[in-house]
Amino acid sequence: MTIQDKTMITININGNEIKLEKPVTVLEAARSAGIKIPTLCYHEQLEKYGGCRLCLVEVEKIPRLQTACTLMVTDGMVVRTETPQIADVRRGILEFLLINHPLDCPYCDKAGECELQDLVEKYGPAKGRYKEKKRKAPESLEDPVIVRNMERCIMCTRCVRMCEGVQGASAIAVIDRGGHSHVEPFSGGKYDCEYCGNCVSVCPVGAIMSRLHRHSYRPWQVKEKTETICPYCGVGCTVVAQVRDDSIKRVIPKIGSPVNNGMLCSRGRFGYEFVGSSERLTSPMIKKNGVLEQATWEEAISLTAKRLGEIKNKYGGSSIAGIASPRCTNEDNYVFQKFMRIALGTNNIDSAARTGYAGTQTFIENIFGQGATANIIAGLSNSDSVLVIGGDPTTINPILGLQIRACSRKGGNILAIGHIKGLEKFNPLTVSPRFYTETVLLEGLVSALKNKKGLSGSIPVLEAKIKDINTSAKEVENRCGIAEKDFIRFTDTLSESLTPAIVLGKDIVQSSGGSYKLMLISAINYLMNARIYLLCERANEQGLLDMGCAPDLLPGYRPLAFAEFRKRYENAWKSPISEKPGLSIFEMVDSAKSNALKAMYIMGENPVFNLPNSKAVTAALKNVDFIVVQDIFLTETGKLADVVFPALSWAEKDGTFTNMERRIQRLRKAVNREGMEDWRIISEVSKNMGVKLNYSGAEEIFQEISRISPLHRDLTYEEIEKGDAIYPYKGEPLRGVMEDIQMHKGSSVNPDGKLYLRLERPLFHSGTLSTKAPALVKIYPEAVASISPSIGEALSLKSGDMVKVSTRTGSLELPVNIDNKLDNLSVMLTNNFENKGAFSLMEYTIDPVTKAPVIDANEVKLEKSVRLDSEVRA
Amino acid sequence: MTRKGLLNEFKDMEKVLLKNIENPNSADINEYKKAGGYSSLPKALERQPKEIIEEVKKAGLRGRGGAGFPVAMKWTFASADPKFPKYLLCNADEGEPGTFKDRPILEKNPHLLIEGMAISGYALGAEYGYIYLRGEYPEAKNILNRAIKQANDNGFLGDNILGKGIKFHLAVHQGAGAYICGEETALIESLEGDKGQPRIKPPFPVNVGVFAKPTVVNNVETLSNIPYIIEIGGDAYSKIGTTDCPGPKLYCVSGHVEKPGVYELPMGTILRDIIYTHCGGIKGGKKLKAVIPGGATTPVLPPDKIDCPMDFVNMPKHGSMLGSGAVIVMDESVCLVKVCYRILKFLEHESCGKCTPCREGTGWLRNILGRVESGEGIEGDIDLMLSVSGNMMGKTFCPLGDGAASVVQNFIKHFRPEFEEHIKNAKCRFK
Repeated sequence: MTIQDKTMITININGNEIKLEKPVTVLEAARSAGIKIPTLCYHEQLEKYGGCRLCLVEVEKIPRLQTACTLMVTDGMVVRTETPQIADVRRGILEFLLINHPLDCPYCDKAGECELQDLVEKYGPAKGRYKEKKRKAPESLEDPVIVRNMERCIMCTRCVRMCEGVQGASAIAVIDRGGHSHVEPFSGGKYDCEYCGNCVSVCPVGAIMSRLHRHSYRPWQVKEKTETICPYCGVGCTVVAQVRDDSIKRVIPKIGSPVNNGMLCSRGRFGYEFVGSSERLTSPMIKKNGVLEQATWEEAISLTAKRLGEIKNKYGGSSIAGIASPRCTNEDNYVFQKFMRIALGTNNIDSAARTGYAGTQTFIENIFGQGATANIIAGLSNSDSVLVIGGDPTTINPILGLQIRACSRKGGNILAIGHIKGLEKFNPLTVSPRFYTETVLLEGLVSALKNKKGLSGSIPVLEAKIKDINTSAKEVENRCGIAEKDFIRFTDTLSESLTPAIVLGKDIVQSSGGSYKLMLISAINYLMNARIYLLCERANEQGLLDMGCAPDLLPGYRPLAFAEFRKRYENAWKSPISEKPGLSIFEMVDSAKSNALKAMYIMGENPVFNLPNSKAVTAALKNVDFIVVQDIFLTETGKLADVVFPALSWAEKDGTFTNMERRIQRLRKAVNREGMEDWRIISEVSKNMGVKLNYSGAEEIFQEISRISPLHRDLTYEEIEKGDAIYPYKGEPLRGVMEDIQMHKGSSVNPDGKLYLRLERPLFHSGTLSTKAPALVKIYPEAVASISPSIGEALSLKSGDMVKVSTRTGSLELPVNIDNKLDNLSVMLTNNFENKGAFSLMEYTIDPVTKAPVIDANEVKLEKSVRLDSEVRA
Repeated sequence: MTRKGLLNEFKDMEKVLLKNIENPNSADINEYKKAGGYSSLPKALERQPKEIIEEVKKAGLRGRGGAGFPVAMKWTFASADPKFPKYLLCNADEGEPGTFKDRPILEKNPHLLIEGMAISGYALGAEYGYIYLRGEYPEAKNILNRAIKQANDNGFLGDNILGKGIKFHLAVHQGAGAYICGEETALIESLEGDKGQPRIKPPFPVNVGVFAKPTVVNNVETLSNIPYIIEIGGDAYSKIGTTDCPGPKLYCVSGHVEKPGVYELPMGTILRDIIYTHCGGIKGGKKLKAVIPGGATTPVLPPDKIDCPMDFVNMPKHGSMLGSGAVIVMDESVCLVKVCYRILKFLEHESCGKCTPCREGTGWLRNILGRVESGEGIEGDIDLMLSVSGNMMGKTFCPLGDGAASVVQNFIKHFRPEFEEHIKNAKCRFK
């Protein structure tokens, strides 16, 4: 910045002198001084347009009226925004907008929060002079979650600019011109898009609206507007839940919120209806004679306390295991692990984070130091290149995906290993290695970068590994099938980058040789001096690790192995902590299989469905004498339980979530519902076992956390509410030096002529939770097996045909979806739909280093089958 | 300011822009060279780019597209911008109704334009040029492409022009028929592959133009003046026409005159002389009723207001504009309400729809004019039209909407009784 830029600029608006530090538009200057200028096409999230002409103002020395939204302030400018002439202009413009706008305000859901209605109320005109027929367009209900009334459209094009310029979906456009201009999906009648609904957010009138609350309330009837955090993925978007009569009517984003700044994805915006689902559990249940029957809270709590106590006394604490939940709050998870450790005396506590996120993070942070993966999401857009590996960020963490798109828009390079569908419109430089040769490609990248960048000597253990890697571009070409020149272009682009970022998905850690690949990616990260982001599928996956819901970690991400830390918590909790590390979630399954595990306490998790090889997990859990499940729905796991507690959902409780940036954010109760928070159920059970875990509320739990966790030192709800709770807070990250990097190369696979089952991570679903949200089910109604056109051709299958998908563990009959972006070795299947999960067909091995399941070697057979009419969903 | 006697002096002025066009092979490079063509380019390349801009400045050349912006000023801005590469765009999207002045250059004298662009490109430091050609000129496209190939083959375009190491590539881009793409920023949007809609200014194209690079957009006629300026020098050139607007000008005359056509005359030729002297007066000896002097959107003039010098400076003083120099002459048989309606119908059709007043206003005005013209007008319609056009004037994004408002205002201003008669008698007497 030059010195000149820093000098103050003065502008005079309506006689008020406004001093500004930097040039802004007249509109921004006016708003900063509290002077209102009406606008319609202007929106702070969008590129300037200057089309509606409502913000015209008088500027001295410029004969023509100027649009305040586009005119940059110059020093000494004199502007008038309220003159008789301007009043006439506004009335005239509004009259133009009204001549073709239907006056169906009594019927329109937007009435009451319609910007056009408000402006006409203020500026007029009071009556119409237009005698001709208005333009007409029928209401469109073609889309599952969006309703369009395009005759209400005023052509501000906010939706189009949002869709193209911010969301990057480019699904809609202005078709035709002049008075015939209308906004329409490129795909014709129906949207072919990401259903983010961000067009809904920016529409100033009732042209594009959510269908979910159509004609169900008027905006002024929604009194309660609770700012909280989205329950779906690890990005942790701020959402505002608008509630009437204890029912969420709408979830909207908030401009200026830290992570998502006014944006939401389809899950966040349209996926809230599970809260009010009639399938929610309402009462505790106890299994009697093999059947779950309703019971009172007292019965269920005392039975649980009694049985757990008996088992602990008889077999010891290590015969009991707990599974924590990435959907539950930090407070829930903290109390849970404390309960496991001091009431049951075991470190057998783990979570589904073990399926990849935890192991990846530990691996990378052991090399680079704690916090190395805690990077600010918004920073991605300022990188000059982003390397994407192991998953589509735009479906797993959609709002993070937007930052990658923004990076491309700003001129950054997107580098992708394997086809990334959500980034294909952003000109990614893609290299797609043959199946099971990703390792060779990564070795090639490390070799090339080593030669270009050299070694700095700062992390000797990693350099020792890097020195051993020598894979030439030729070798990459021969083995991965990537042309040498493409590979060189890829490495050149990457190596020339000055501010690179790496975005890493779970497919890597879940593949054969995952820990070796993580070392290679760490090496790339090291050689490039990049920032690394780990895609995070669940809202509080990070938080539960920070809370110590891991067999080897105490709260504050402190290793159990260090006596010093154990001591600290023993003193704080006034109870001994076992020094024996607990079982990982997969070890729990093995232990159950071998009858060693006698009891399980499962909070907000569904391991039977969410762990690979469901059949084996089910069989193992059936061996366990006593299972307690707390959940909001009766899940597959719940059906195996001896006691089931109904939990409160995300919308019904207070607490905190920690997102993938490790930003701690406040979850606020939006809806009242009878029942107990997860932590309160646990504390009741604990009390019955004679161990007091009494708290008055979530805040008191957090006060305890901030008192004793060295990482969360001095954090308060007040501090968190300021939005300042960014890692490492005021606490201390752990520092240490690694002696050696453990890794496992895995076995090589020859994929010739075989098909493999792979996990699809869809945009519209997340776990099974989203399948209880009718809007998301309408968009993505059922499990489908996606295959490439040539596999389809070979089996004479077209989209919609039924196919039998079989592996060694079982088979499923599913409709098929032909996807021309897929390779000829993969059958893609989601793990979201009841009885149709990919995990039910997958076996796994465990990577000895990351403890994550390796699921990339599941051979699969396809056979054409016939779909019965009764199976077709309406 | 006009110079008395100028008209006579230049009555048979040397043809600059239409030179040699009677030759049936005038579009061929050899014929062009035989007539002295491509002699300015080598001269220009001997000089510094700055000197060429200086020469154009001395010549006082103004843009011939309609706005009359000083060419040297535009060039200076673009050449001073450090961004690279720079682009030179030729606006050949001649879409204003009544305008066909560029067509003879494009079809009969393409090498004049190419030579002009090569010199201009050199002056600006632009290495790439595009001719944005009107969609309805398919023949011109073939002719231009052939001429560009010839120029390339002869070393007048390409990577190493005349062996001087100077680079200038030229390509033709054909529009898809939208009038708005004659507006320079809409033209740029369209050239980039987007929908033709004007952009926010500033930044101006000279700084952020096509592909976000410094870009000069000049009209065909403007660029075709450049070789002549180099040939005779800026000072000599500036003595042609009027002092404020020097140079030759193409006037294209259509409508009820004996000899319609394109006339190359000195800038500032009196409108009455164009009609009565050069074009042989009103066809069939009928009475003149109205003249639109500079293309459909310029203000219409009644017969007693046509003693005006046709240049950028003098026309506004006489209540109209030079525009593109497209003179539309209408005799007493014409219904001016219908003419006004027809122009509004065109502008409504061509409104891009970006800004509210133009998108909604042009259609509304056309509706009212339509009912007045067909005898269904009602009392108050004239005032309503004046009010609606007043709500548009000065509030639209680009000049298209202002033009529409101005058409209605000026037709009513000069011919209000004819509108009133339509409403009163509930019919049109010209039918």
